[in-house]
Amino acid sequence: PPSCWLFCSPLLPSPLTPALSPHRCHPPPSALSTPPSPGEGGEFRKQRPRGTQQGHHLQRNMAGAGGGNDIQWCFSQVKGAVDDDVAEADIISTVEFNHSGELLATGDKGGRVVIFQQEQENKIQSHSRGEYNVYSTFQSHEPEFDYLKSLEIEEKINKIRWLPQKNAAQFLLSTNDKTIKLWKISERDKRPEGYNLKEEDGRYRDPTTVTTLRVPVFRPMDLMVEASPRRIFANAHTYHINSISINSDYETYLSADDLRINLWHLEITDRSFNIVDIKPANMEELTEVITAAEFHPNSCNTFVYSSSKGTIRLCDMRASALCDRHSKLFEEPEDPSNRSFFSEIISSISDVKFSHSGRYMMTRDYLSVKIWDLNMENRPVETYQVHEYLRSKLCSLYENDCIFDKFECCWNGSDSVVMTGSYNNFFRMFDRNTKRDITLEASRENNKPRTVLKPRKVCASGKRKKDEISVDSLDFNKKILHTAWHPKENIIAVATTNNLYIFQDKV
Amino acid sequence: MECALDAQSLISISLRKIHSSRTQRGGIKLHKNLLVSYVLRNARQLYLSERYAELYRRQQQQQQQQQQQQPPHHQHQHLAYAAPGMPASAADFGPLQLGGGGDAEAREPAARHQLHQLHQLHQLHLQQQLHQHQHPAPRGCAAAAGAPAGGAGALSELPGCAALQPPHGAPHRGQPLEQLQPGPAPLPPPAPAALCPRDPRASAACSAPSAPPAAAPQAAAGASPPASPAPASSPGFYRGAYPAPSDFGVHCSSQTTVLDLDTHVVTTVENGYLHQDCCASAHCPCCGQGAPGPGLASAAGCKRKYYPGQEEDEDDEEDAGDLGAEPPGGAQFAPCKRARFEDFCPDSSPDASNISNLISIFGSGFSGLVSRQPDSSEQPPPLNGQLCAKQALASLGAWTRAIVAF
Repeated sequence: PPSCWLFCSPLLPSPLTPALSPHRCHPPPSALSTPPSPGEGGEFRKQRPRGTQQGHHLQRNMAGAGGGNDIQWCFSQVKGAVDDDVAEADIISTVEFNHSGELLATGDKGGRVVIFQQEQENKIQSHSRGEYNVYSTFQSHEPEFDYLKSLEIEEKINKIRWLPQKNAAQFLLSTNDKTIKLWKISERDKRPEGYNLKEEDGRYRDPTTVTTLRVPVFRPMDLMVEASPRRIFANAHTYHINSISINSDYETYLSADDLRINLWHLEITDRSFNIVDIKPANMEELTEVITAAEFHPNSCNTFVYSSSKGTIRLCDMRASALCDRHSKLFEEPEDPSNRSFFSEIISSISDVKFSHSGRYMMTRDYLSVKIWDLNMENRPVETYQVHEYLRSKLCSLYENDCIFDKFECCWNGSDSVVMTGSYNNFFRMFDRNTKRDITLEASRENNKPRTVLKPRKVCASGKRKKDEISVDSLDFNKKILHTAWHPKENIIAVATTNNLYIFQDKV
Repeated sequence: MECALDAQSLISISLRKIHSSRTQRGGIKLHKNLLVSYVLRNARQLYLSERYAELYRRQQQQQQQQQQQQPPHHQHQHLAYAAPGMPASAADFGPLQLGGGGDAEAREPAARHQLHQLHQLHQLHLQQQLHQHQHPAPRGCAAAAGAPAGGAGALSELPGCAALQPPHGAPHRGQPLEQLQPGPAPLPPPAPAALCPRDPRASAACSAPSAPPAAAPQAAAGASPPASPAPASSPGFYRGAYPAPSDFGVHCSSQTTVLDLDTHVVTTVENGYLHQDCCASAHCPCCGQGAPGPGLASAAGCKRKYYPGQEEDEDDEEDAGDLGAEPPGGAQFAPCKRARFEDFCPDSSPDASNISNLISIFGSGFSGLVSRQPDSSEQPPPLNGQLCAKQALASLGAWTRAIVAF
């Protein structure tokens, strides 16, 4: 019964949960962390000791003055295999910068997490910004089988969210369909040497051979990055988890599945609070599901969740324990002239993101991006068409399942430009100030560093101009679902099916 | 890149998607299936409105031929004929649905029969739409309609179903579907042309608005709720969208077993199927035994017809577990042993009619569409999109949208 606000009694540890042990990272290699063949962009480098953490990321011109189109985007790096034959496990399923932008995490369908670290700036070199190189790789989730319900649980990483850094280690949350895990990523660059009872290789010495005593000392060693699971939050979701979001109090976080949203404390794994439950008494009356949820960046009591019907609900946790009654409902009336068989599908929201300021939020449905002012519920303040030329192709896209693709969207650091992906490895940026937009392509053809990307154009109908691409020649297998923007600089990470592209602005 | 926007092919595609999602890794995706069910609903709306228009047009032609021979009767007199499934108080339906001269209709029982069947389909469909769009109130509203109605006036007691008020005479034209003003609207001759199945291929955009083109006849159709006094004598009488459990014999019913993943409650219900569409064709296997006319199967508790194949499957089913969960990837559709389910759900839902509408595409409700062949072997026949589409359309009373009930 939805009135019960305490989700459940203490959860028994699932026998499926792996043991909590330091996880040395040697899973089957993800293609993102293997060195590409020479000649390709993005060289693989050994991890090198980090210097001071702060100070070398200057606040660049965040496109506030220039706008998305005055920036010239250049190719910087590409990670991943070159083969056209994509291994299913290598398909990238999530991309996320950490709060400083120094670390970039990706998750894939094989349950692996690969973290890249930006090199500290080297003023001698001509790049103004460091490159991203592999920092850590680990197997976050394994495939599981729920014997009770005869369901296989995919290991695909649905979302990664970084915690703000509190000490030397980094923490992130990663989730698959059912289980959320808190990972600690820590560095080790010293090791103790000079034990009395152990040889250097670890063998025990015969105590009778010890004639003198010494004090062990720490000596530098090659940097080793370890990832260990610190918390496992399991058995709280019946349906597939689609979102996790860390609260601004940095103590709690929410996880959302199709019908419910749970509130967790980062320290407590055996219970969570159910704060939203839209499961109807009769499943036959189900009309909508939750598609995404996020905490407000500043108000620790506020969160939003989007639905498959194209609505967004803002909830205040102070109002009641179970936030089934929204504080605000954001909904734009449907345009009846656009009604089709697929109206319900294309109005389903696939992603919702607050602006950094907390004043706005952005939603992505199949064909458009909408910016909402939290103070106005009846319509968005801005709407940007991502690929309106697909409206007449909805039937084919339904047949090949592309209409169900869930595109994400992201803000730049100053909330002046928004970005989202499309097909044919295109991605789009919209400048909110200049109202200009640009279409770029993530392709290995432009893989010389600092090559400026050429804007692309899709020809919807009629005569195709030179350099334009007709809708019918778009490759719908090449889709960009996941993109991320550095929180402070004009660096973007764009994930194609199995490659990760990093672009930055021309300096 | 253009694909056929034919409603029936969309239905086939959608059913195929739902079917294949059973075998996908990671379990059934609720969100995707919900969206597919919306497409199914939209396609069905178009399909029904097209068929309705077609039948109406055909009937109009017949009447015009006969009207020259016979003076038109009072509109109520067309009630007198004994077409099966024709409720006594068809005044509710108004003249337009029946098109005028009663005797004329008596002469064309087949066409009229089909028309009425389709009309009834519309009724159900409209009621379902009403519930979806207007009335968050539970479906008990419609269930209440199932109570033996003393007359059309009984419907006025339905809470929240205001739009189902019996007509009061004044014709309304072209009412949008949602308003459903009472009162039959004489369907103007041009209307069938408007309803003519628009060639979906003609328009580039996938815009086949489900409601507006059918607004005229549906508004009229919706004006008269189907539940009407039905003399208990005729077993074939069409009782209503959600008839009372004590209703007439069941026709081609089947069982649905649903497992709620949250509460682990297993519910076994009897589904009813409208067989107007599939019985209209001589090939309908379920009508092989010459069942009389359209019958709306009722909720649990009624006599039900078993098919040897189905029953065997149920008895022999061993591996799906006590809880009736459908094993992933399995082609088995048959539900688990029924006897055990009754143990698990001692308190069947208080609202039997609600449950009767419970749909599980992945339970026997769906398999019922497939395994209806009396010679069904152990292995259910490969899912034929065409077959299921037809029967899916027939099973209007049993589902408003294909929802995966976990």
